[in-house]
Amino acid sequence: MTTRNDTSHTALLAQSVGDFVQHGANLPRVRALLQTRAEFDRTQWQQLAEFGWLGVLVPESCGGLGLGLAEAAIVAEGLGRALTPEPYTAVAVLAARVLEYSAGTALRDELLTGLVAGERVPVVAWQEQADDFTGLQLATAATPFEGGFRVSGEKQFVIGAAGADGYIVTAQAAAGLQLLWVPRDAAGCSTRAVPLADGRSYGAITLRDVAVPGVHVLASGDAARGALDRALDHAAVVASAELVGVMKRTHEMSLDYMKTRVQFGKAIGSFQALQHRAVDLYIQQELADAVLHEAVVQLDADPDAVTRALAASRAKSRCAEAALAITRAAIQFHGAIGFTEDCDVGLYVKRAMTVAAWLGNGRAHRARYARLAAQPHQEAA
Amino acid sequence: MSDWNAMSDEAFRAEARAFFESEFPAQYKFLARRMRWHECREWYLKLSRKGWIAPNWPREHGGMGLSPSKLLIYYEETERAGVGRMPDQGLTMVGPTLIRFGNDAQRRYFLPKIIAGEAIWCQGYSEPNAGSDLASLRTEAVPDGNDFVINGSKIWTSMAHDATHVYVLARTDRQAKKKQEGISFLLVDMKTPGITLRTIRNIAGHEEFCQVFFDNVRTPKENLVGELHKGWTIAKGLLGFERLNIGSPRRPLQAMEKLEALARARGLMADPAFVERLTQLQLDLADLGSLYRRYVDKVRRGEALGPDVSMLKVWSMDTYQRLSELLIEAAGEYGVIDGEVAFATANIDVLSPFYNSRPGTIYGGSNEIQRNILAKYVLNLPS
Repeated sequence: MTTRNDTSHTALLAQSVGDFVQHGANLPRVRALLQTRAEFDRTQWQQLAEFGWLGVLVPESCGGLGLGLAEAAIVAEGLGRALTPEPYTAVAVLAARVLEYSAGTALRDELLTGLVAGERVPVVAWQEQADDFTGLQLATAATPFEGGFRVSGEKQFVIGAAGADGYIVTAQAAAGLQLLWVPRDAAGCSTRAVPLADGRSYGAITLRDVAVPGVHVLASGDAARGALDRALDHAAVVASAELVGVMKRTHEMSLDYMKTRVQFGKAIGSFQALQHRAVDLYIQQELADAVLHEAVVQLDADPDAVTRALAASRAKSRCAEAALAITRAAIQFHGAIGFTEDCDVGLYVKRAMTVAAWLGNGRAHRARYARLAAQPHQEAA
Repeated sequence: MSDWNAMSDEAFRAEARAFFESEFPAQYKFLARRMRWHECREWYLKLSRKGWIAPNWPREHGGMGLSPSKLLIYYEETERAGVGRMPDQGLTMVGPTLIRFGNDAQRRYFLPKIIAGEAIWCQGYSEPNAGSDLASLRTEAVPDGNDFVINGSKIWTSMAHDATHVYVLARTDRQAKKKQEGISFLLVDMKTPGITLRTIRNIAGHEEFCQVFFDNVRTPKENLVGELHKGWTIAKGLLGFERLNIGSPRRPLQAMEKLEALARARGLMADPAFVERLTQLQLDLADLGSLYRRYVDKVRRGEALGPDVSMLKVWSMDTYQRLSELLIEAAGEYGVIDGEVAFATANIDVLSPFYNSRPGTIYGGSNEIQRNILAKYVLNLPS
C-alpha cells in the first residue's frame, strides 16, 4: 500500500468511476434481471478489469494497484450508483483480501493475478447460518486425504457465485480452520442459484466428499481465521460504500421529482411535511457518509481486530439502515409511480435490501458492536 | 505550553482524565443545572492557568488549538468526569466571532479578558416577538456622538445574571428594504446604566435565563463588530459556530454517561430489549462524532461553515432528547424522582437530562427552522 496517499491517483480513479456511472449505468439490463437472471456479464466484467478496478487492492507483485480501501470505496460507491450487478465487492475485495492475507502458496499468486485480469473469478464460501456473518458456526468438515483433504458440507448466501469459477471454502479440520480452493466443476461440488429480490442470486453450494489436493490449501489454523476475519471486515466496509452510492443516487431522484411534480398548483417539494422528511433522510445519508469515510481511514491503518470490527460494524449498521430508509421513502415521495416496475426507484430499493442483508445486516452488526463495546477495550465516539 | 496535538490520543486522554477527575470540585460533579459564576469561577481560573480554558481557540489567541479528534477527547473527558457547564458564551461564541469578524483592537481588548475570566458573556438575540423569526427583531440602536443608544428588550438570555457583557443584535436602519438588512452587531458592558434584568424560572425550577431591558443604554462606537448594518451576516457566521457547538456530542455524551451508569447499577445489560436500544443510541452518538469531526476539520482548515452545519444541531439535540427519554424509562419508577436517586453503584439524577435537553431543540434556531434551512439552501427545494 505504498501509493495509498497518492491523491492524484485517487482523483483520476474518482473521475474514471464518475464517467463510468454516467455512461455505463445500464438500468434496462438491471430491470430485465428478474427475467434473464443474467447477473454476470463477462464483457462487463472484462471492462472492470481493463479499468484496473478489480486490482485496486491487489499487491503490485500480482499485477494489482496495491491501493487501499479508500480507493476501493470510490469504485464501490460508483458501482452502487450504477446498480452494476457484477460482484465487485465479493471478488475484488472479499476474495482478493482473503487471498492476499493467505500468503505463501503458488495458487494464491495465480488466483490473484487471474482475478486482476478478470480471467479468474474466485468467491468466498464461508457462511452456513443466517446472521453468522463471520462464519463461526461451521459444520463443513475437512478430513485429511493424500496430503490434502476431503470436504463435505453446505454453504449459503454466496453472493457472486453465479459468475464464479471456484470457491474459497471454509472447513473445520482437526488441525483447525482451513481455507480451501474448490473449482466450481470439482467432482462432488454443486451450485444452486437462489433468486433474490433484485434479480441477482445467492449461491447455495453443496460439497460431497470433494477432494482438495494439498496445493489447494490456501491457509490453515490461526492464519486462516485471521485472513478471513480481516477480509470480512474490509468487505463489510466496501459494501457500505456500495450502499452509500445507492442511497445518494436514490435521494437525488427523490429530490428531483419533488422539484418537478406539481400538485395543488405547486411543486410538491415546497410542502414542509415533505421537506422535513427529505432533510431527515439527508442527515442519515451524511451520517452514513461520515462514518464510512472514517471506517475506511481506520481500516487502511490496519488497527487491532477489535477496533477494526467496531469500525466495520458502525459503518455497515448506519449505511444499511440509511440506505433502506432512503430507498423506501423514495417510493412514498414518488407516489403510485414509485411502485411501478417502470420507475427506477424500485431497482434501487431492492438493491439496497440485498446489499444491506449481505455480510451482516444492521441488526446483526449492532449485536456485534454491543458485544465488543462491552469489553474493556472500548473507545467511545 | 505543550503541543497537545503532538501527543498520542491515549496520552492526551490520560492527562485530561486525571486532571478533570482530580481537580474539578467534587460538590459540583454531575450537577443537575448549569453552574453559576460564583460556583465555577475558581474552576474557570484553574483551567485558564493551565492553558486549558479555550480548547477550540487557536494557540495564538491563548487557546489550545486542538485537532478535531483531541477536541472530542477533551469533551468526552469533561463529560465523563461530570464537569458542569459554565457560562461559556465568551469561549464558544464571542471569541471565535472576534477572531473572524472583529478588529485588532477588539481582539486585543476582549480575548485576554475572556481567557482570564474577567469578561463573562451572554447573548442578546431573541426578543418577545422575534424568536424563530429572529430577523424581525425591534431593539434599536441609534448613533449619537461617539455612542450608539440602545432601546428595547431581549429575552431567553441564558445566564445574563452572571454576565459582565452582552452581545446584541440591534436595528440600526429602519428604512432598509429587507428585514435582514439594517441590523448591527454590538458589544455592551452589562454595568452600563439603563440595563435591567428579570430572571425567568424554567420548568425544572431553575433560574437560568432572563429578560434584559435596554433603556437608553449607551455603548461606544468602537464596540460595533464588523460593518454598520451588516450584523446579520455576522450573526449568521456566528450561528455556524453556535450550531457547531450545540451540535457537538458533548451534551448527549453527558446523558450517555448517566445511562450507562444506570444500566450497570440496575443490571439492565442482561435485558436484550434494553441493550438493542442502548446500542442504537451509542451508534447514533458515535456517528454524530464522525460527522462532527468533519466540521471541526473544516473550521481548522479555515473554511467557512455552510448552511449544512444545521444538520449537526438537529441530530445532536435529537439524540440528546432520545437518550434522556431512555434514561427515564430505564429507571422505571425511579425515573420520576426529583433530585438524585441512590442506586446500588451510583447516585444519579435521572430527570436532569430530560429537562436540560428540552430547550436544545428550541434555542439556536429550532430544529424545525434548521430543517427549513437545510431544505432551502442545501437540498434546494422550492418555497
